[in-house]
Amino acid sequence: MPEPALQKPLPEEEQYVELMPAEKKLIGWSLGLGIVLLAILILASRSLS
Amino acid sequence: MSSTQRFSLLKSEDWWAVWLGLFIFVLGLGKLAGMDLLGWVVKANVWTDLSKALTPVSDAYKGMPGILSLLLTYVFMLAVTTIGAATMGWNLKRFMAGFTIIFWITYACWICGNYAYIAATPDVLAKFKIPWSLSLTGEAGFIVALLVGLILANLFPGVTRFLQEAARPEWFIKTAIVILGATIGIKASESIGLAGTVLFRGFCAIVEAYLLYWPIVYFISRKYFRFTPEWAAPLASGISICGVSAAIATGAAIRSRPVVPIIVSSLVIVFAVVELVLLPWLAQGFLFNEPMVAGAWMGLAVKTDGAAAASGAITDALIRAKAMTALGIAYEKDWILMAAVTTKVFIDIFIGIWAFVLAVVWCYAIECKPGEKVSPVEIWYRFPKFVIGYVLTFVILLAIGLSSPDLVKTAKAGIAQADSLRGIFFALTFFSIGLVSDFRKLREEGMGKLALIYFLCLFGFIIWVGLFISWIFFHGIHPPVIKS
Repeated sequence: MPEPALQKPLPEEEQYVELMPAEKKLIGWSLGLGIVLLAILILASRSLS
Repeated sequence: MSSTQRFSLLKSEDWWAVWLGLFIFVLGLGKLAGMDLLGWVVKANVWTDLSKALTPVSDAYKGMPGILSLLLTYVFMLAVTTIGAATMGWNLKRFMAGFTIIFWITYACWICGNYAYIAATPDVLAKFKIPWSLSLTGEAGFIVALLVGLILANLFPGVTRFLQEAARPEWFIKTAIVILGATIGIKASESIGLAGTVLFRGFCAIVEAYLLYWPIVYFISRKYFRFTPEWAAPLASGISICGVSAAIATGAAIRSRPVVPIIVSSLVIVFAVVELVLLPWLAQGFLFNEPMVAGAWMGLAVKTDGAAAASGAITDALIRAKAMTALGIAYEKDWILMAAVTTKVFIDIFIGIWAFVLAVVWCYAIECKPGEKVSPVEIWYRFPKFVIGYVLTFVILLAIGLSSPDLVKTAKAGIAQADSLRGIFFALTFFSIGLVSDFRKLREEGMGKLALIYFLCLFGFIIWVGLFISWIFFHGIHPPVIKS
């Protein structure tokens, strides 16, 4: 793997922006879907075993 | 990724892993046609007398000296990998010189790891006339190779730079995984119910890995470490999904600058080695009575294909040794590794889908650029092609095993020969992972904050959530027991 050009720019130097609504939605949907699917898949794996 | 690279079947490590793996697989299947095409391949044995450490894998070649078998194996592997390197346009002189050094150091490490006081399991102590052993099995050679690679990478950077052209852990491990598909396929034909269970539960586990890991890491990166989306997304994918491939796919999906996934990838590689050194021993300590949980845990927690499969192999060896010592149970080899690889392969398959989702979200909601569109064909571009080889070898051997049970014994013998080469590819992976793991990168300017979040997320919850999910889906499932 080539040596990364670490000199610049690394995250510290960049402008921070607050979490945008689209990001919040992505996080929320992903977590929510994950939790719902967890329950469904546990039930499915129990019923199949 | 250029369109030429996207469509070429001869220009990427991913496709070359398929070609090499299938070539070796086909040679192994020669047994079914009565041809012993790989019988001369070297096999490392547990030894107290060094002259007995090496033998050809097939009895048909038992008159051949071990060292000649090793030399032939080296020439074969150099030839096939050099064809790949030439087609991919690498520097051939550097590759051949580097591969030669890597091969011989790796094999020397593997022979060391097979020394009876290190490798012998309790059931063979009497055979070797030794009173004790570390019982690490021959896979201890992998750890020796890793440690030697790490020492070279961190203390002798000049040597490492010279070997760089041939240090290709991802290529080696993907080739090994294609061959592994055959080994697992033939085993699965004998325990079809268990194989189906592992496949289904492996799928369940990775859905959770994506949907739970990723948003948490992303949120922490953005909210508490104040990273921009351009950094937070590849970082979340690198930490939570599948290391290097996921970071690069995500970087491309959200159109980040190339430097972002490269820096994240260097962190992924360093931390994967830390996991590889720690987690299998931890699993041996408290999961030896839940072997498949341990295997799936390696697939879910250890990043990069190389380190995950390598952890699976070590965990397989350590847990089988511990189960034999502590419980008196001899589990069949490779089922724990199968759980790790199955989980990892599912994760790899989903990288493309996840990258597509992120590309759509970024394109239409986060960084909207006029006229920009995302095509579903991106999923195929990001699809890890070596999975095709793995599935092919798995399905072919499964079909042979199920349709012609009388051929299983012959097929097993042929695949065992191919499997000897798979073992060498595994060992090369360990040494190469060590070689590309430069811990000095952590000291470089600006890496501290990235390393800190990586450390906190990985050891704070990813490893433990991975263990929890593996436990939920795999507890109570055990590999077949060797009856004798």
